[in-house]
Amino acid sequence: MGERTRQVLPSVLSVLLALAVCWLTIALTRDADTATRAYLQMLWGGVGNWPAFLEGGNANAVLRPLGEAAMKAALLTLTGLSVAVAFKVGLFNIGAQGQMIWGALAAALVGAHVSLPAVLHVPLALLAAAAAGAVWSSIAGVLKLKRGVHEVISTIMLNWVAVSLVDNWLVIGPLRAVAEGHQSSITGTAEILSTAQLPRLLGDSSRLNLGFPLALVAALAVWVWLARTRSGYETRAVGLTPEAARAAGIPTLWRAGGAMALAGALAGLAGAVLVLGTEGRYPGTLGAPYGFDGIAIALIGNNHPLGAAVSAAVFGILRAGGTRMQLLGVHKSFPELIQGFALLFVAGRMVWLALLDRRRSRQAAVEVPRA
Amino acid sequence: MSLEDASLDIVPGELLAVVGENGAGKSSLMNVLYGLYHPDAGTFLMDGKPVRLKSPRDAIARGIGMVHQHFMLVPTLTVAENVVLGREPTRRGLLDLDRACDEVAATAKRFGFQLDPRARVDTLTVGSQQKVEIVKALHRGAQVLILDEPTAVLTPQESDELAQVMRGLVQQGRTVVLISHKLKEVLGVADRVAVMRRGRTVAEVRASETTVSALASLMVGEGSRGAALTGVPVTSGADTALTGAVAPDAGTVSTGPIVLDAKDLRAKGDNGRPALQGVSLTVHAGEIVGIAGVDGNGQRELAEVLTGLRVLEGGAGTLLGGPLAGLTPAKAKARGVGHVPEDRLARAVVKAMTVEENVALGRHRQPPFARGPWVDFKGRRERTNQLLATYDVRPPDPTVALQALSGGNQQKVVVARELDADPKLLVVVQPTRGLDIGAVAQVHARLREAKARGAGVVMVSLDLEEVLALSDRVYVLYEGRVTGHFPRKDLDERELGRRMLGAEPDHG
Repeated sequence: MGERTRQVLPSVLSVLLALAVCWLTIALTRDADTATRAYLQMLWGGVGNWPAFLEGGNANAVLRPLGEAAMKAALLTLTGLSVAVAFKVGLFNIGAQGQMIWGALAAALVGAHVSLPAVLHVPLALLAAAAAGAVWSSIAGVLKLKRGVHEVISTIMLNWVAVSLVDNWLVIGPLRAVAEGHQSSITGTAEILSTAQLPRLLGDSSRLNLGFPLALVAALAVWVWLARTRSGYETRAVGLTPEAARAAGIPTLWRAGGAMALAGALAGLAGAVLVLGTEGRYPGTLGAPYGFDGIAIALIGNNHPLGAAVSAAVFGILRAGGTRMQLLGVHKSFPELIQGFALLFVAGRMVWLALLDRRRSRQAAVEVPRA
Repeated sequence: MSLEDASLDIVPGELLAVVGENGAGKSSLMNVLYGLYHPDAGTFLMDGKPVRLKSPRDAIARGIGMVHQHFMLVPTLTVAENVVLGREPTRRGLLDLDRACDEVAATAKRFGFQLDPRARVDTLTVGSQQKVEIVKALHRGAQVLILDEPTAVLTPQESDELAQVMRGLVQQGRTVVLISHKLKEVLGVADRVAVMRRGRTVAEVRASETTVSALASLMVGEGSRGAALTGVPVTSGADTALTGAVAPDAGTVSTGPIVLDAKDLRAKGDNGRPALQGVSLTVHAGEIVGIAGVDGNGQRELAEVLTGLRVLEGGAGTLLGGPLAGLTPAKAKARGVGHVPEDRLARAVVKAMTVEENVALGRHRQPPFARGPWVDFKGRRERTNQLLATYDVRPPDPTVALQALSGGNQQKVVVARELDADPKLLVVVQPTRGLDIGAVAQVHARLREAKARGAGVVMVSLDLEEVLALSDRVYVLYEGRVTGHFPRKDLDERELGRRMLGAEPDHG
C-alpha cells in the first residue's frame, strides 16, 4: 500500500461509513426503500438528474443542482483551505467563521461603494475581503506568537467578537443600507454594484459563478506553494518540528504568522464569494456556518489542499442535494449528519490505518525492511 | 545494550550508592529494579525468592519506591493531592481531602519532613518538591527507596538536608539506594558503594574504606580501554577507526587561524539557573576540541550558544569573524557553523519529512536545493543520492520518510548534511550516542575528515573514550566552568575524570 493510498483511504472509508450509518438511521426510522430513494434524491439534487436529462429533459434539471453544489463547494473549499493551511504550521484555526464575516463585510462595502469597471472591481473586492480576513486571523496569530495565547481560545473568542461587531452592530447600525423608493425597509448593507458581482458561468438558470473556479485555483495555488516552493517547505518544517526548523535557521515566527494570515485571507475570500456571488450584500446576519464546516472539510481532506477541495466537492453535492430529501419527508439536515459522522470516523485515522495494516500483513507477510 | 551482566546486592537498612559514568548503566539497572525495564537475562531475588516485576505497580506493591531525577508531580495540585494520587482516600465515592491531608501530614511527621500538605506543589522549592516525591514513595509503603541523581537539581544546602533525610530513613529501618556521580557526596552519606562501568558492576566497596580518587579510577576504568569494548574483536574492520585513532595524529597542535575565540561566556539553562558561568575557549581551524564533562555541567548550553540557539547572557567572543553576541541560527549558518545536535529528532531533522527534504533542511534556500523561490527537485535528488551513497545510508532511498530509517542511518544523514555544507566550525554534541559500533566508527572518521579539510570541530561528548580518541585538545566543564584544559600530549584519563567530578588540579 503506497503512502498516498494510506493518506487517502481513511477519509474515503470514513465518508462511506458515514453514508452507510445515515442510510441505516433513515432505514430504521422509516424503511429501507425510503432511505435508498432519499439518497437518490440527494444525489440528483447535487449533481443533477442525469437520467431524466438524457431522456430529453430540461437542461435546467442538471444545471441548477450543479450550480448549487458548486456554490456550496466553493465556500467549503475556501474555509477548508483556511483551516488546513493553519494546520500545516501546527495551528488550529477555529476562527474561519469570524474571518469569513469580516471578509464578507469588506467585499460588500467595496462592492457597493466603489465604482470601477468589473475587471478591477471584482479583484479589488476579493483583495479587500482577503485582507480583512488576514487582519482578523493575524490578531490571533500575533497573540499566539508574542504572548503564547492558545490560538484555539483566541480564534473562538474572536469569532464572537466578529459576530457582535458586524452582525449585531455594523450591518444593522452604521452600515445599514438606506431604504430607497418603494422599499420600506431592508436588512443588511447596500446592494453591491453589478460590476462587483461574480459573473455567472452557466447563464441565469444556475447560480454557478466565478467563485467555484476561484476556489479551485486557490486550492491548487496553496498546494503548489506548500509542495514546491522554499517558503512552503519552510512552513511545513515549522509545523512538523518547530525546534528543528529554528535550528536550521528558518524564521519560524514569520512562517507561522504568515500561514495564519493566509488562513484568514482564505476564509475572507469565502466571505467575498458568498457576498459577491450569491447574496449581493452583507445580509442581516451571515448565518450559514461555513467557517465551522471548514474544520470538518479540512480534517476529512487530511489537511491536504487538494484533499480539502475534494471533500468540499463531496459535501457541497450532499448539502445541495439534501434539501431534495425533504420531498420524501426526510429531514434536510442529514447531509450535515453525514459530515459529522465522517469527521468522527476520520478522527480515528489511526484505527483505520491499523485495520488496513493488519489486512495487508495478513495478505502478504513481506514487511518493508527497516534498515 | 546498556546493561551487561550487572549484579547488585541490596542489604536491608543500608544506604547503598551506585556510581558510574554517564551511560554506565546506573539508571537502567534501577529501572529494572523498579519494573520499568525487563531484563533479557538474569534473576532478581527479593528476600531470597525470585520475583518478576511486570511494571512499577508491581514494584510499588513489593515496597520499592523510586524518586526520578525529573519529578513526577502535578504542579497545580497540592502536596497531599500529589501524595495520595492513585490511591486517594474517599468518602461516599468522593475524594476525602481532609483525610488525605491528615494522612500525608502523619507520614511526613513520622519521617521528619516539614511539609504543608495543603501547599500547591508549584509554589514549593525544588528541594521541597523532592521531599514530596520521597514522602509519596514512603506513603505507599516503600521499604526500599531508589533516588536517581537526587542532588543534580539541588543547591548545596538542599543537598546537605537531603543527606540528613536519607540517613534518617536508614535509621528508621528503610533501605536507600542512591544513584549519583558526585563522589564526594556519596562518600559522605553511603554505607556501601557499588561502581558500574559499561553495564557491569565492577566493584562494591565500603564507603569508609575508599577515597574519591580510588572511586574515580574504578569508574573510568584503568588499563586498556579497548578491552572494555565488550564483545567486539579488536581486529574487526569497524573497530580500526576507534583504536587507530589514538596513535597517528597524537600530539598535533593546530596552528590554523582561530575560528572561535570566546571569553567568559555566561548563559542560563532551561530551568533559568546559570548553566554557563564564565567559560572561555579558543578553537583553531583544523583541530578537534573535545568538551568533556558529566552530563548537565553546561556542555549542552555551550553548544547552543555557539550555534545561536541560546541567548548569551554575558561574556563575548568572536566566531568566524563576527561577534558571538546576538547570534541566531541563521547567522551562525551563514558564517559557516555546522551543527550536529544531541537530540536528533527534536533539533536536527523533521522526521515526518523525506530523507531528501531533510538533506535540504538549513540549505534549502541555496543551490542545488532551490532555484529562485522554488524547490529544485532535480538538484536536490541528485545531491541526496550522492550523499546517501557516500555515507552509506541504508536504504539509499531519498523518498522515504526519515523516521523509517534506523537511528544510525538518521545520524548519518545529519552528519552528511552538515559536512556537505563544508562548515568552518562544526559543533557536534554526543555524535555517536545510541549508534552501533559500525556507525560510530564512520561518524568518527567523518569528524576527522572535517578536521583534515580545515574545519574547527567542537565536540561535546559524555563518553570520555570518544573525547580521548578524537580530541586534539580537551576542555573539561564542571558546573558551567572550565576546570581543566589539556592539549593532547597531556591527556590523562584519570586526571580528566577527576576534573569532571570537580576536583582541584592535582599538585601532588
